[in-house]
Amino acid sequence: MSQGARFRPAKLIAGLWSAALLIILTFLVLYPTAMLLVGALTNMNPVVDGYHPEAISISSFIDVLSNENVHFALGNTLVACAGGTAVAVIIGLFFAWIVVRTNTPWKGLIATAGMLPLFVPPLVAGVGWALLGSPKTGLINTFLARAGIEWRIDLYSMSGIIFVFGMYYAPYVYMFTASALRNMDPSLEEAAEISGATPFRTIFTITFPLIAPAIISGMLLSFVVMLGIYGIPAVLGAPANIPVLTTYIFQLTAWTPPEYSKAAAVALILMVATGALVALQQKVLSGRSYTTVAGKAFRPRSLNLGPWRFLTLALAIIYLLVVVVLPTLALIVAAFRRFLFIRDVASLFDMKQYGLLHFQRLFENPATMTSIYNTMKVGIITAVIGGILAFAIGYTVTRTQAPARRWIDIIATIPVAIPGLVIGVAYLWAWIGMPFGFYGSIWILALAFVARFMPDTVKALSASLMQIHKELEEAAWICGRGTLATIRTIVLPLARPGVVAAMTLLFILAIRELGSSLFLYSSSTVVMAVKLLDYYEGGNVGLTAAFSLVQMVILGVLIGITNLLTRGAANSSVGRAG
Amino acid sequence: MSAELRIAHLRKVFATGKPAVDDVSFTIAAGEIVVLLGPSGCGKTTTLRCVAGLEHPTDGEISLAGEPISAPARGILMPPRLRNIGMVFQSYAVWPHMTVRENVAYPLKSRGLSRADQDRRIADALALVDLGGYADRPVTQLSGGQMQRVALARSMVYEPRLLLLDEPLSNLDAQLRLRLRDDLRRIVKKAGLTALYVTHDQTEAVVLGDRIGVMRDGKLLQMASPEEVYNRPADLFVAAFTGASNFIPGQVTARDGEFGAVRTADGATLRAWMPQGVVPGANVQVAVRPENIRFTEAAGSENRVTAKVTAQRYLGMQTSYDLSVFGATIEGIEVGTAVRYPVGSEVTVALPPESCWAYAASADDARAMTPH
Repeated sequence: MSQGARFRPAKLIAGLWSAALLIILTFLVLYPTAMLLVGALTNMNPVVDGYHPEAISISSFIDVLSNENVHFALGNTLVACAGGTAVAVIIGLFFAWIVVRTNTPWKGLIATAGMLPLFVPPLVAGVGWALLGSPKTGLINTFLARAGIEWRIDLYSMSGIIFVFGMYYAPYVYMFTASALRNMDPSLEEAAEISGATPFRTIFTITFPLIAPAIISGMLLSFVVMLGIYGIPAVLGAPANIPVLTTYIFQLTAWTPPEYSKAAAVALILMVATGALVALQQKVLSGRSYTTVAGKAFRPRSLNLGPWRFLTLALAIIYLLVVVVLPTLALIVAAFRRFLFIRDVASLFDMKQYGLLHFQRLFENPATMTSIYNTMKVGIITAVIGGILAFAIGYTVTRTQAPARRWIDIIATIPVAIPGLVIGVAYLWAWIGMPFGFYGSIWILALAFVARFMPDTVKALSASLMQIHKELEEAAWICGRGTLATIRTIVLPLARPGVVAAMTLLFILAIRELGSSLFLYSSSTVVMAVKLLDYYEGGNVGLTAAFSLVQMVILGVLIGITNLLTRGAANSSVGRAG
Repeated sequence: MSAELRIAHLRKVFATGKPAVDDVSFTIAAGEIVVLLGPSGCGKTTTLRCVAGLEHPTDGEISLAGEPISAPARGILMPPRLRNIGMVFQSYAVWPHMTVRENVAYPLKSRGLSRADQDRRIADALALVDLGGYADRPVTQLSGGQMQRVALARSMVYEPRLLLLDEPLSNLDAQLRLRLRDDLRRIVKKAGLTALYVTHDQTEAVVLGDRIGVMRDGKLLQMASPEEVYNRPADLFVAAFTGASNFIPGQVTARDGEFGAVRTADGATLRAWMPQGVVPGANVQVAVRPENIRFTEAAGSENRVTAKVTAQRYLGMQTSYDLSVFGATIEGIEVGTAVRYPVGSEVTVALPPESCWAYAASADDARAMTPH
């Protein structure tokens, strides 16, 4: 009895703490999601009409479901994502095999190059490939014409979207399959070889079936990321009138008057599809993994390719060229050249044609600097708030017996299944009709980002918290410290590298985010990614290319610093958000 | 179908450094089981993998049924899939995405057999390893011992010319290991296969092998029948590795034929067997197995002395005593549940000369030899 009485205040505090976290999470995640649902089930405009709970009905949602334009966008989305995923699987699996299982020279370089596309923002990739492969003025087509070749490429097409999707999201398949191959007991393959199977037969009857869970899970992840991408289909699909769900949602909100409820309904479709695929991926991942059966470290087998190893090296170099070098070169040419018209190859190297004109115009426009300033501000707010919140959630979930900690964990994980664009629409619905000017402020962007990236941040922080042995804390308690003093003197100092890494990761994710910003910015809170899209849609190629380069440099420098700080821990997570 | 395996002057050097296998030569007759025994890193597994074709020898020649399969000097290197060899891996390496039947059927698929022929062979192989009723189970539902038997059936189903076994019992628990050890020899002998077996476990080697080859640092030290390896170890290392843990230093004073006299540190004389090359005047270590020391031997037996008991360890089924004798402390074991000699008492023991082996070596060598 007396013991129970002594612990009651601690229990009360723990309860209050859990309640506070739940309220914050409700505000950040549950309320906007619920408002998205409300929006999908009405046909009102919250700006004009305000919110009317009595207007909720299923009929408007059914109207959207039976709308032909929605069907068209959904069909395009599925074709683009399925095609892109197929390309990504072929490329990703091939590179995983080359890096882990062959004696191809410069494997380390190939492994690094295989991850590079993750760092290119989708909009920048789209712009780069539009410069290279647009049907009339694309640089590649200019070269083909000068060379007297009839054939032309056209990236403004479904196959163009599939190609760029596949190229840039292959790293997801690569990451999963390479580690599965690395962890596979080599004697499983040796046994096949001894049994009389040719190397080819061994790959298709033993190796690939064994890593099937990794292949499927990489496949599903890349499909999910493609579903939520706005930049690539916006640039490559718009000229050829190929709407996908993401671009269609944005179109709906850009019309006058904006069709907010229809956008919410389509966003809901996108969210349900994403959620289902993420759930499926989790199931595949948690299912029985064949590759860890023996559970010990292996020296992976390396196949001697003989002279063929130069072919695999050449393919890797071609991939690097296509994914990184060519688009970057195109951006550089377009950014520094006064006019993109290129008469012949000699003119390409005519230095008189180059100058800093576009950069001057870029920085003369005050909106550019404002957008960079806004981006940094949003990034810092996101990193600080998101980092603190993720630490609180991670500590509560992994280290305490606080009530409802399971629910806290589940709610904090929900955004994994919500594409950024959908979060944007949900926040729009949640706040646009509210009076106190939260919508249109820099804070709504930051909070949307905090919500969007919470699962990644919490996961990263929980991992570093779990490395701190529980006994280190218990020792501090025994020494007479309270919970807060223990966190301050023991946990925080030990977890600091993890906290710093999580915060810088958040910062980088926030400054490159486009999808959710699209619906939440106002003229005074425009961020870099949105401004870039603005320049692109304004038709100014030189300005767009120059700003793309500026953003790539900013990102490159920040990612470099992050890598130095965290020794590569952030690499795998940066691209997850797409 | 089983064939003779001949290995001549096999050498394997990884990158740089000491060779993993250094000039190893031996022959396995058709139908014979040879066990390679040695501590980890002695080169036994590398030798086996060279025979399998999974490692490429640096030098030497391996031939199967008279046909060279690895001969780097002549540019011959047959890929594993064409060697028609069966292999059981330490990690079993049964394919977890297949059923028992699919695992066993796999090697037959590339051998152009009729459907009926395949089915018959699969049934035979599974019956041989006592898994007849398990054909359609996913292998992931099997126990470790059952998985190992699937691996065995898979490696024998196509009647290979040679069976290779790489520590196949080391991942099993102790009881299962004992049972499967006896089964293994019976199954392999029943199939009449030539087999090369690799292990670091002496008992396994004794029970399974027709002959045992002891390896150390890439070299084959002795290859002989289990009785010979246990009773006439070729050198100090073989003696120590097979359990002769007592070493009595001394100097040879005389030699007649296979035996001779050794004067020990306390001036006593010990009669011992001597390998060739041990001559009078040489410093030797006399190795004795604790089990070969006889307690309270009747008068008249050779090497009969009085020893002082300095320590005593009761082990239930037997008792181990530390005995101070011949200027050294040696361990003796008496079987039986009774403890008969208290610490400090004197006891008469005999060291039969045929169980005392004198090897030319220093005291440091002997200490280095002792496992544990």
